[in-house]
Amino acid sequence: MLKQLLSKFPRKSSRSDGSSETLSSTGCDDGASSGNSIQRASSMNSGSNKSAAVVKRMSSAVFPASVVAGIEPLLSFREVSGQEKQSLFISKMNLCCVVFDFNDQVKNSVEKDLKAQALLELVEHVSTAATKFSEQAIAASCKMFAANLFRVFPPNYRSGSSASENDEDEPKFDPAWSHLQIVYELLLKFIASPSLDAKMAKKHVDHWFILQLLDLFDSEDPRERDCLKTILHRIYGKFMVHRPFIRKSVGNIFYRFTFETERHNGISELLEVLGSVISGFALPLKEEHKIFLSRALIPLHKSKSVGIYLQPLTFCITQFIEKDPRLASVVIMGLLKYWPITNSQKEVMFLGELEEVLETTTMAEFQKVMVPLFTRIGCCLNSSHFQVAERALFLWNNDHIASLVAQNRQAILPVVLPALERNASSHWNQTVLNATLNVRKMFSEMDEELFLACRRKHEEEEAQRAEAEERRRTNWARIEEAAAAAAAFQPAAGYTAVLVNPPAAPPIFT
Amino acid sequence: MAMIDEPLYPIAILIDELKNEDIQLRLNSIRRLSTIARALGEERTRKELIPFLSENNDDDDEVLLVMAEELGVFIPYIGGVEYAHVLLPPLETLCTVEETCVREKAVESLCRIGTQMKESDLVDWFVPLVKRLAAGEWFTARVSSCGLFHIVYSSAPDLVKTELRSIYGQLCQDDMPMVRRSAASNLGKFASTVEQGHLKADIIPMFEDLTKDDQDSVRLLAVEGCAALGKLLESQDCITHILPVIISFSQDKSWRVRYMVANQLYELCEAVGPESTRTDLMPAYVRLLRDNEAEVRIAAAGKVTKFCRILEPQLAIQHILPCVKELSSDSSQHVRSALASVIMGMAPVLGKDATIEQLLPIFLSLLKDEFPDVRLNIISKLDQVNQVIGVDLLSQSLLPAIVELAEDRHWRVRLAIIEYIPLLASQLGVGFFNDELGTLCMHWLEDKVYSIRDAAANNLKRLAEEFGPDWALQHIIPQIMEKINNPHYLYRMTILHAISLLAPVMGSEITCQKLLPVIITASKDRVPNIKFNVAKVLQSLIPILQQPVVEQTVRPALVELSEDPDVDVRYFASQALHACDSVMMST
Repeated sequence: MLKQLLSKFPRKSSRSDGSSETLSSTGCDDGASSGNSIQRASSMNSGSNKSAAVVKRMSSAVFPASVVAGIEPLLSFREVSGQEKQSLFISKMNLCCVVFDFNDQVKNSVEKDLKAQALLELVEHVSTAATKFSEQAIAASCKMFAANLFRVFPPNYRSGSSASENDEDEPKFDPAWSHLQIVYELLLKFIASPSLDAKMAKKHVDHWFILQLLDLFDSEDPRERDCLKTILHRIYGKFMVHRPFIRKSVGNIFYRFTFETERHNGISELLEVLGSVISGFALPLKEEHKIFLSRALIPLHKSKSVGIYLQPLTFCITQFIEKDPRLASVVIMGLLKYWPITNSQKEVMFLGELEEVLETTTMAEFQKVMVPLFTRIGCCLNSSHFQVAERALFLWNNDHIASLVAQNRQAILPVVLPALERNASSHWNQTVLNATLNVRKMFSEMDEELFLACRRKHEEEEAQRAEAEERRRTNWARIEEAAAAAAAFQPAAGYTAVLVNPPAAPPIFT
Repeated sequence: MAMIDEPLYPIAILIDELKNEDIQLRLNSIRRLSTIARALGEERTRKELIPFLSENNDDDDEVLLVMAEELGVFIPYIGGVEYAHVLLPPLETLCTVEETCVREKAVESLCRIGTQMKESDLVDWFVPLVKRLAAGEWFTARVSSCGLFHIVYSSAPDLVKTELRSIYGQLCQDDMPMVRRSAASNLGKFASTVEQGHLKADIIPMFEDLTKDDQDSVRLLAVEGCAALGKLLESQDCITHILPVIISFSQDKSWRVRYMVANQLYELCEAVGPESTRTDLMPAYVRLLRDNEAEVRIAAAGKVTKFCRILEPQLAIQHILPCVKELSSDSSQHVRSALASVIMGMAPVLGKDATIEQLLPIFLSLLKDEFPDVRLNIISKLDQVNQVIGVDLLSQSLLPAIVELAEDRHWRVRLAIIEYIPLLASQLGVGFFNDELGTLCMHWLEDKVYSIRDAAANNLKRLAEEFGPDWALQHIIPQIMEKINNPHYLYRMTILHAISLLAPVMGSEITCQKLLPVIITASKDRVPNIKFNVAKVLQSLIPILQQPVVEQTVRPALVELSEDPDVDVRYFASQALHACDSVMMST
């Protein structure tokens, strides 16, 4: 781009003092030629000789002998007539395609300022534009957005071997943010502008554009991800045709994150966008959306970094259940599938989410999952990490849950009682112990007969535990014996012979 | 128990165990799948156990993973390869589960079984399985299928081959990037089974599509295939099809892609021949060596020796060496470190003159690098240079570098240099060693970090091995004798440890005369830890010493220790006495 501009520069400056060429209406793809078109346009306009002179004066003042033609300071929108505004818009967009190196703050500082200035003018123009953007204007804008935004992030040195040590590090800020910020603002205004006709723009805000935009969510700069979130939301709102594609692509990001890399910086932001997308789903829910819930959203619980995005994830999931209560059992079974085994911190979070989900769960759904669910809760009750045990016990403080449990005590009490008894007899933590005793009391007051029956059964089982253990051991010992005997009994066709001479060994049927 | 008389139902037991709440029990039983199979016999395993497993696979991923692994080696238990196909259904289901590890293991097991199956069985059973997976509704099945084509392709009849190629082509254009990634990473394996003619007509277009993918992640894996594919093609085809791709990849906007290219560019040199290497690959490689992104330069620098080996020395000197010079003062320490770890290997490639003239200054500057890893990497490969120019030219700069590393404040750096000391000793020779390094080696015995002291003791042993017992008697033993009187017990313990290591090297006589008295004195130490370590050391010396010495000197000392007030001392002393007894008995 810069090169292109450079090659055109001498020609352009020689022409800027008003040679009369015919106004080429289209073909503004080439940055330099469109840069000229405004000047040509203004030179045809009788009243604009003065502004052309201004351009010349400014450019020669700022770049007396400079070779950097990338930023040619153009007119301001105020100085041109309504008709010319569109052309000026395009030419400004084209000039802003030049990307500067911000690793060196001093380099090209004048040009950087000028570009920022141009960008700000564009923002101003887009937010006040009254007429529809022409297709060329849209094309030029998208080209500018692509040139500035779609970049490959530098390697993340911190995420190497010592990632865990640096988890608490400050987020990384992009040095080019001073420009990026305005470009993002411009993109947002542009997408949101009533002057942007979605039908016309969809050719340029296309699948490729959206994919690149989604890739940016991996940025380490939280400010950038925040901008992207709003923009994606607007695009989703405005471009109906792209909605399925956006959902599918976001799903692909999730799949890659869950099943391949476990690394992505923008899961949280993507989920926030999805949250409002989901709450806008029409009823009854399409099958496709339910599949998205079970295949893309629920597996997000698998990652060890779930804590970073659990809140928006829970929001998405509860939205689904609110839309269709029959999804509660799917969600709960999903949570149980991904239930953390060794990570207590994550377990506490899961219990929190579980409570939120149970809040919106109906009786019918609850009954579908209560046995496996309370088996798991039983394990949590016995956790030697007191926060886990405590959090699990607090579930009974929730009125809705307590009432669900009470109504299904016949099924639930036999499952949780052993855990309660174990805690009561041997949990090390006083708070857990007290809370356990409370829950146990709650059960016994609820239905003393059942409580005592369960307790008896538990005691019997405890007494027989050693015996069951012994039975298991002898069973396996007998299998081992039988296996050894079988191998000895059929030396010709036994597995040893097969190993030696596989194709020839004839099978012997016993 | 009455149970014993009941008939045995191994499947029932397995079913029962797999229902248990405790995942550990389920895991234990699934690990013993082969035992159950043997108990059942081959036929019942085929007819009962395998069908049961095919239907019951909604367990935890951990259990499924073990199942996938076990089934991979199950052929002997079902009656040999002619029945291998019965194992396919359960593994096919495991290929479709969500968890990546399980799927990968299932594919691995299928490959293992497939390579043993007869051709006709492959066509009858395995090909349909691959097709079913490739047409799977969810991406998991399709991802798994990509890794199975190479197993069946060469056995298939022509018509099926055509079909398989076309299916693979579709997988390369799958809607989901997950599948395209799997297709890209398995393309090389599949291509290696495809006939030369179809390679060009069918596989190359697939490859070219993948290299143009919208997704970075897919392109990245396509690069990985470049080298594999390039080696399969004839040189001319490689130049027309692969070379342009790799050249454009080497300028990709994504540094990850360039990184991949840098990593495997040298592998393509052979495939394209010397002419294209010189005109195309070398300039690309030079660009990568000068890449903006340090990560890419690290990868490129790490391959510099391998690349130079392929080039004519003249070209390497003319084009690569200037870059190497730049890299040796690169702003990134990791680049310099990567360079330092391979640069010594360039010496044999470039020959003596060029090494002295061009490489030596670079070695020297890297030896003075501010980053210890760089210096260590140079020292670790010293032998490679020694063969070419001799070490004398380096030794003057070497010593200060070693001394500085030996005193580095990071103990890991000190540890690393200790580990290279025997190498240095063998390269530099006794003379150099005595003067300069001897004191350092002794100094480390009194380091404040245990690992260093431990390594120092080991180092002494290796030096004694390198230079022989006579040398050690003169240069190691006297210093050690001095240090046994160190006021700090931890340092005395290090010396005890060093003695126990040195004794086998020094031999019976020297041990008796020089080392044993020191140990016996130490058995009167006031610190119990020293005393029980004495007991341990004495025990380890028993096999080395002469029988009478054991009886006259070692045993009395141990007897005394076995009456020590400290329980640990008594314990280890009695252990050592037992050892004495058993030696007595056996002679």
